[in-house]
Amino acid sequence: MAANEEEAVKYVWEGAIPLQIHLHKSEVASHPAPPPALVLAPRIGYLPLLVPLIKPYFKDSLPPGEDSIWFDYKGFPLKWYIPTGVLFDLICAEPERPWNLTIHFRGYPSNVLIPCEGEDSVKWNFVNSLKEAAYIINGNCKNVMNMSQSDQEDLWTSVMNGDLESYTRLLPKLKMGNIEDEFSRKANLSSPQSRQGGTETDVAGQVKTARIPVRLYVRSVNKDFENLEDVPEIDTWDEISYLNRPVEFLREEGKCFTLRDAIESLLPEYSGDRAQTSGEEEADGSQETRGEVKLVRIQGIEVRLEIPFSWVVNNLMNPEFYLHISVLVKAPQR
Amino acid sequence: MATESPSSVRKVVIHLRATGGAPILKQSKFKIPVTDKFAKVIDFLRRQLHSDSLFVYVNSAFSPNPDESVNDLYTNFGFDGKLVVNYAFSMAWG
Repeated sequence: MAANEEEAVKYVWEGAIPLQIHLHKSEVASHPAPPPALVLAPRIGYLPLLVPLIKPYFKDSLPPGEDSIWFDYKGFPLKWYIPTGVLFDLICAEPERPWNLTIHFRGYPSNVLIPCEGEDSVKWNFVNSLKEAAYIINGNCKNVMNMSQSDQEDLWTSVMNGDLESYTRLLPKLKMGNIEDEFSRKANLSSPQSRQGGTETDVAGQVKTARIPVRLYVRSVNKDFENLEDVPEIDTWDEISYLNRPVEFLREEGKCFTLRDAIESLLPEYSGDRAQTSGEEEADGSQETRGEVKLVRIQGIEVRLEIPFSWVVNNLMNPEFYLHISVLVKAPQR
Repeated sequence: MATESPSSVRKVVIHLRATGGAPILKQSKFKIPVTDKFAKVIDFLRRQLHSDSLFVYVNSAFSPNPDESVNDLYTNFGFDGKLVVNYAFSMAWG
């Protein structure tokens, strides 16, 4: 990894969102109501992991009963297994700081959210995502499965604590390899590395296929908008379509596969000249207008679509080797 | 995200494999529309096995999130129109 890349990864790991957390008013059993809790939520973390920090603020105000904790944003229930940074990028078109969330200790909405048993569920979700990613990259997930229990535990702890140093130390055991970008490739030509499965280098070293695990969240908005603050608030998860689909591309000498190429391969219906972040208005009239990609956000960054996809992957992926991309589109009008 | 009429929705055959001493089901495969979520597969197994504590895996390896679509799981991890799903009463692959 080149020095500038290490720096980018460090920024991703240190990224955090200031949260202002309110106890839902139906659960306030004390007078006066408790003040909101302020916590800093790591982008690569998950909301249930914050509970040990938040609960002390509210425990004396709760009505009797058993905890089944969940969060909402303006009444919209948040899926706990999506990294906090991704939720923020997806739901807050115009970033809100601090981000005002509501915590509930009762009345889990099982019809919308899958059950969560605290850290155990989050860890289970993380490890299984990691295995899925390995399967996509290598064609199997033996390396993750063969990891010792203590290494697996250490890997999870490093993610939970945002400890990039420990994570980096454990990483070689996963043997994921990483795709080379334009810069490091030239530097590495003299030291060929063995690779596995899906990212096999052919003998000539000219062309190879890379498979990148991607979780793509597409939020579609019906009406057009000029500014991000005019984006209507989200009501249900039905407004977000979610894709778990790898981006496959050939590494060819002299050709650069960009983020735009990756997005177009995932969303062919939005591809073409109009698939840009600031598209122009189609001629008015009764003519059907195509959908339009308005915003692409990864790790809180409005990423330029001309950036080499390999750089985006190597630097902006989450620790479970998935690249999470939030896209805001204007739905096609008929 | 193709818009297809319900009658033409593609289907995938789920192949069920018992593991770790779980009983083998009479019905070892079933068809499911690709538009369904993986939660449907888990629900089917829970009903058949009358058990809520069930571990459900794909390809003897990992346990997908119930919110994943059958379509994405098939595209990523299936082949020849089938997706192999393993089930156990205790954790089989950690």
